[in-house]
Amino acid sequence: DSTQGTPADCQPCPCPAGATCAVVPKTREVVCTNCPAGTTGKRCELCDDGFFGDPLGQSGPVRACRACKCSDNIDPNAVGNCDRETGECLKCIYNTDGFFCDRCKDGFYGNALASNPAEKCKPCSCSPFGTVGQQTGCSQVTGQCQCLPHVTERDCSACEPGFYNLHSGTGCQRCNCNPIGSTN
Amino acid sequence: GPTPRPDVHPLPPGTHLMFAQSGKIEFVPLEGYDMKKDDAKAVLHLPEKVIIGVAYDCVDKMVYWTEISSPSISRASIQGGDPTPVIKTDLDSPEGIAIDHLGRTMFWTDSVKDRIEVASLDGSQRRVIIDSDLVNPRAIITDPPNGNLYWADWNRDAPKIETSYMDGSNRRVLVKDDLGLPNGLTYDPQSALLCWADAGTHKMECMNPALGDRRKVLEGIQYPFGITSHGKNIYYTDWRRDAVVAVDRYAGRETDEFQPLKRTKLYGITTAYAQCPSGQNYCAVN
Repeated sequence: DSTQGTPADCQPCPCPAGATCAVVPKTREVVCTNCPAGTTGKRCELCDDGFFGDPLGQSGPVRACRACKCSDNIDPNAVGNCDRETGECLKCIYNTDGFFCDRCKDGFYGNALASNPAEKCKPCSCSPFGTVGQQTGCSQVTGQCQCLPHVTERDCSACEPGFYNLHSGTGCQRCNCNPIGSTN
Repeated sequence: GPTPRPDVHPLPPGTHLMFAQSGKIEFVPLEGYDMKKDDAKAVLHLPEKVIIGVAYDCVDKMVYWTEISSPSISRASIQGGDPTPVIKTDLDSPEGIAIDHLGRTMFWTDSVKDRIEVASLDGSQRRVIIDSDLVNPRAIITDPPNGNLYWADWNRDAPKIETSYMDGSNRRVLVKDDLGLPNGLTYDPQSALLCWADAGTHKMECMNPALGDRRKVLEGIQYPFGITSHGKNIYYTDWRRDAVVAVDRYAGRETDEFQPLKRTKLYGITTAYAQCPSGQNYCAVN
């Protein structure tokens, strides 16, 4: 406030070097108006969209702003891809999920870190007849669905040899064929 | 040094471009079609926000914006007034926003909820009008006199530009071939042209939605995000140059560029007219 007539009227901006500042009249709050590249916020304490870090070290050691780290599983044309402070990925694509888009989302399996999108995360597609409780989830890595008794295949879509009636919904039943009259 | 009232700067009369850049909404006055770059300044400082879409209501002279860091839609008078949130709940990633100044409503896209909503300008009477077949909806614009809505979806597998009436009925795909990342969309009522800027094909194109006559305006543009039209000119924000670029639609070339001091991404852009265009629609009289 330059109208008080004291030596302390004008004080240096509480902003990183090069930034200018201004006072909000209503709240008398000082706001930086020209933060260094990649930073923003009242005190230049935040990272720009698409970056994360803690440029002033407000909640720990100083972490310079870096581009969102999401395992190549975000789209550069999207906005708000990660949390500006923690870096938590918010817009995972290719059916991935997790803090760094580093695992498959529920109902999908495979390698979220594969370089080819087609090889990343595939749908579990568990057979509703052969799966326990008609679950849609499967093992993240192998894709194995949880099969009912005597049901087999990754997606629980077939009966074990010697068993039939997958569509019963309770597992497959033994064929009970007479070994003498059967061909195999 | 300190300037008075850093959060809100009243705008002088005249037509301006308004665009969002990292926690602020800046404006550039237009003199004819020329950007008065030396007179550009921030009209609103919201240092903790990530502002994406901007729209202007020519009746009440208010700017509306979407914001994704604490997802919300807010407004403020450009003649100087406090920013006021109008929608605070049930938003994930609000991006494009458009005003029907005749019907006194606003429309927006949400790229995570994958839907298009409408509400009165004060946030009341909110309603979802489109909630199917959307993957990455972003740009949205209105044609109030004719009651039409247009939006673009940059879904990399099947990008498209669509239209519907303002209640979401009569939905149709207008363009789906030879699109990449149609980020920006604008409608010029005088020429009845819908124009878009594509960051995938690097083209700017226009068509009369009623005739379907698609034509190329410019090739080799860099990375458009938002676009807005004003007479013969189109202005777009560019993520490569961190600039507002002016394009002469008839000459098919870039004529000027404004690069703000701060080098960071520019998002939505809109034209703030000194006066509303004439016309009325059925919503305004009902």
